[in-house]
Amino acid sequence: MTGAVVELWVNGEPVRAAADGAEFLAEFLRERLGLVGTKLGCGIGVCGLCTVWMDGRLVSSCLVPVAVAAGRQVWTVEGLVALAEGRVHNPPPGLPRPELVRAVHRAFVQCEGLQCGICTAGQVWAVCALLSEEPVPPEGRVREFLAGNLCRCTGYQGILRAVQQASEEWAQRAAP
Amino acid sequence: MAEFHAGGEGRTDAWVKLYGQAVYAGDVRVPGMLYGALVRSPYPHARILRIRTEAARSLPGVHAVLTGEDVRYGTYGRRVRDMPVLARQVVRFAGERVAAVAAESPELAREAAALVEVDYEPLPAVFDPEEALRPGAPRVHEAPWTYPGAVTGPEDPPNLQSRRVWQHGEEVEAVLARCRYVFDETYFVPAAHQGYLEPHGCLAWWKPDGSVEVWASNKSPHRLRAQLSACLGLPPDRIRVMPLYVGGDFGGKGSPMDVPVCVALSEATGRPVKLVLDYEEDLSCTNPRHASKVRVRLGVDGEGRLRALDVRAVANGGAYAAFKPAEHVNLNGFGEAGNTYRIPSVRIESLIAYTNTVPRGHMRSPGSLEANFAVESTVDAAARALGIDPLEFRLRNVLRTGDLGTLGEPWVEARGEEVAQAAAAALRESEPQAPVGRDGGRWARGVGFAFYCRAAHGGTTEVALLPQPDGSLVVRVPFPDQGGGQHTVVRNVVQRELGLPAGFVRVEQADTSQLATDSGVGGSRVSLTASAAAASACAELRRRLEEEGLAQLPVQAALAELARRWPQEVVRASVSVDEELWVNSVCVQAARVAVDRDTGQVRVEELVTALDVAEVLNPASHRAQVEGGVVMGLGSALLEELVLEDGRVVSTNLHDYRLPSVADLPRLRVVLVPGGKGWGPHGVKPVGELTNVAVAAAVANGVADAVGVRVRRLPISAEEVYQLMHPREGKA
Repeated sequence: MTGAVVELWVNGEPVRAAADGAEFLAEFLRERLGLVGTKLGCGIGVCGLCTVWMDGRLVSSCLVPVAVAAGRQVWTVEGLVALAEGRVHNPPPGLPRPELVRAVHRAFVQCEGLQCGICTAGQVWAVCALLSEEPVPPEGRVREFLAGNLCRCTGYQGILRAVQQASEEWAQRAAP
Repeated sequence: MAEFHAGGEGRTDAWVKLYGQAVYAGDVRVPGMLYGALVRSPYPHARILRIRTEAARSLPGVHAVLTGEDVRYGTYGRRVRDMPVLARQVVRFAGERVAAVAAESPELAREAAALVEVDYEPLPAVFDPEEALRPGAPRVHEAPWTYPGAVTGPEDPPNLQSRRVWQHGEEVEAVLARCRYVFDETYFVPAAHQGYLEPHGCLAWWKPDGSVEVWASNKSPHRLRAQLSACLGLPPDRIRVMPLYVGGDFGGKGSPMDVPVCVALSEATGRPVKLVLDYEEDLSCTNPRHASKVRVRLGVDGEGRLRALDVRAVANGGAYAAFKPAEHVNLNGFGEAGNTYRIPSVRIESLIAYTNTVPRGHMRSPGSLEANFAVESTVDAAARALGIDPLEFRLRNVLRTGDLGTLGEPWVEARGEEVAQAAAAALRESEPQAPVGRDGGRWARGVGFAFYCRAAHGGTTEVALLPQPDGSLVVRVPFPDQGGGQHTVVRNVVQRELGLPAGFVRVEQADTSQLATDSGVGGSRVSLTASAAAASACAELRRRLEEEGLAQLPVQAALAELARRWPQEVVRASVSVDEELWVNSVCVQAARVAVDRDTGQVRVEELVTALDVAEVLNPASHRAQVEGGVVMGLGSALLEELVLEDGRVVSTNLHDYRLPSVADLPRLRVVLVPGGKGWGPHGVKPVGELTNVAVAAAVANGVADAVGVRVRRLPISAEEVYQLMHPREGKA
C-alpha cells in the first residue's frame, strides 16, 4: 500500500486501508477483507443489501468512502454472528444485544423471513437496529424503518412476521 | 460451516443465509483470479469501424483486451443461437458487448474498459415491434432464419423472431360476426426488469487441461452447460458448472448471459476471471420483460355468455432472441388468454419482433401477465357495458370441472368458482375504510376482480442419496435454490418418505459432473419433478435396505450400517415427467382501491388472493411464494416500467426503476382453498408463477369500479387516470 493510510475497526479488529478516497466501504469489506456476507446490489444506497453498522447507526456501505470510515467502528454480518454466538468481548456501545440477535435469527427462520437470501444480511441488521432502539415498535414505524431494505422474494410478509415474533420475545425478555 | 445456534428447522438454507455464509457469484474467490469489465455500445444500431485497444492494453495489470475479432466461439442462446459473445462488425442494441477486459482489480478493469475507443457509423434503427414488422423497416439482422434454432424462414418478415398461434373451436371471425356484442380493446404492458437484487455475475476458469469450470448466477446448471458446449465447441463433459446460490431469478437468470465472454477472457489469460455486472448494467443490458401490445376482441351473446375470443399480441423481442427458451421461442403465457372461462371459439396469435433494443427474456409467468391484464380488463369492461356485476359475469362464464379448456385441455378439475367465492367472502369480511362507490368525497373507492389459471408442467431431474455413517442422509440435487424453497421441499419429502427426524437430511447442490440430467428451475416445475425424483430415490433406498437385510432396523441405524457397508455407493433416481399434466392452479385476486378524484392517484387498500391448493409440500415456502408473487404483481400494477427512449434504457438504477418496498404495501390477505387435485403421489400444484399475474387487472378493474375509467396501460399512473377522468383537459 502506497500513499496515506487510514485505520478503522472492522468487527472489533483494527484494519488499514488506503486513504485515496477511491474505494468504498462495501468493496473494501468484500474484496480486501473477504467479508462477503455484506452484499452489493444497486451501488447507490437504495436497495439496502450492503447495510452495515458504523458507530451506532446503519449505513449503506456502498456510499461510504473508506476514508470516511477512518477511526470508526464498522460491524458486518460476520461480526453480528460472532456477537450472537457470544464470541465478542467488550462490544462497542450501541451494538444489538446478543440475545436480541438470536431472537431475530430464530424469528427469520421460523417465519420464513428470507428466500433467496441476498438481502438477508441487510434485513437482519435493520431489524436488530430497530428493536434495539424500540423493542415494541408500532407497525407504521416498522414499515418506515425497513423501507430502505428491499426484498424481491418474500413480499415482506415473512419479514414483518419475523419482526413481530422477535419483538414479542425480546420485549418479554427485556421486561423486569 | 459453523455450528449454528439452536432454532426451529425452517428452510434448509435459512441459517447459512442468516450467517452471511451462502456463496453467490460475486462472492466466489479463486486464487489468481482476474476481474472482467465490459465495453458496451452507446448506439442502438451501428457499424463498428475501428476499435483501439492499445491504451487499455498498456495499463500495468491489464492482462487481456478482447474484441469480437479475437473470439473464435460461436453465437449462443437458450434456443435460438443468435447472440455473439462480443459484437462483430455491427452492434444491434445500446448496451451490446463490444470489448472485454481482464485486469488485476475491478477498478483497473473498469479503467481499462473506459480507455477502449470505438469508432461507430450509426445505422438506421427500429425500436417499435409493429414498425419492425412492416415492409421496408431497418433490418436488425440480415438473415435471422439462418441462426441455429431459428423458428422463422426467409418468407417471413425479416424482423420476425417468432409467431405462434393457438386455436380451438369454430373459426373465430365467423363466431364474432354472429355475436350480439363484440368488445374490441387494446392494452399495453411495458418492458420491466425482473428486479432480482443480485446483478448477474460469473467466474470462469479455463484450466490448463482444456476443461472449463464455471460459477454463474444461473438457475439451470445443466442447461447452461449444454448452451456453453454449443457456443464454445467443447464437449459437455469438459465443462463443469459449480453449485452456487442465486440471489433472485424471477425468470431472468436462465441464460448464459456473460459466461461465454468470461470464458474467453479466462482462455486468453490462462487465469480465472470474475465478471460481475453493476446494477445499472444489469437493468439496461440483460434480458428484461418484453413490452407487449395486446388487442382483444371478445364476443358475447344476448345472455351474457362468452362466445368468442380473438387475441393478437405484438411483443418487442429486442435485438436477440437468445434469451427465450421455449420451443416456439414465444411467450407461452399468451396461450392462457381467457383460459378461466368457457369460450367455444378461441384464436390467439403472438408475434415477437426483433428491434434495436435490449434483448428480452422471461419474467415470472412470461406472457401471462400481458394476456391476463388485457383479457381480464376486457371481460370487466364487457360486464360493466352490459350492466352485469363483473364478478357475477365471470361466474356465469367460469370454466367448471368437466369442461374442456379453451384450447381443448382435458383439465382434471377447474375450481374457478370455489376460489372466486372464497375471495369474495374474504373481501366481504374486511370492513372497507369508507363506503365503496362514488360517494362524492375526494377518494372514490372500488373493488376489482381478476381470475387466473396456470397449468402444471413436468420436466426431468435426478437426485442421489448418500447415507452417512452417523445415520443421516445427504441428498444431492442438480438444481440450485434460487429462493423458491425447492431444496426444502426435497428435504421434507425425503424426511417423510423415510420417517427420518428433523436434522437428519441435508440437501446439497451437485455440480454438473455429479448428476446427469435436469431441466432446471423454471415454469413452476421444480417442486413437482424434484418431489417425484426424491420419492423415487427413497423407494429405491428402501429396496436396498431390504436387500441388505436392514429394513427391520430403525432408519438411522439402517442408514449408518448401509454407509458402513457401501461407503462409495449412492442410490440414484431420475424422473421424466410429461410436459402436459392437465393439472392446474387457479388464483383469484380481489383488490380494494381508492382513487383520488383531484389527482388521479390510485391507492390499493387491500389485496385478497385466493388460490386453490392440493397438498402443500412446505407451507412456509408456499406462503412466501404466494405473498412474494402478490407484491411483485403490485409492482407491475403500480410502479414498474423499464423506460426506453430512442431505443436506450433510461431507467438507470433502483431510484428510478422502483420496486415495491415494505412501505408501499396494502393489507394483503391470502386464502387457500384446499381440496384440489394435484399431480403425482404428493399432489403437487404449481405456485411460483401464480399470484403475480392477475394483480394488475384486479387493480385496474378496481379503478374502473371506483371512477368509471378504463386504464389500458401499465403501470397505472395518476397522470393517466387523471387524463382519463378529465379527457378534455388531456394532452394538446
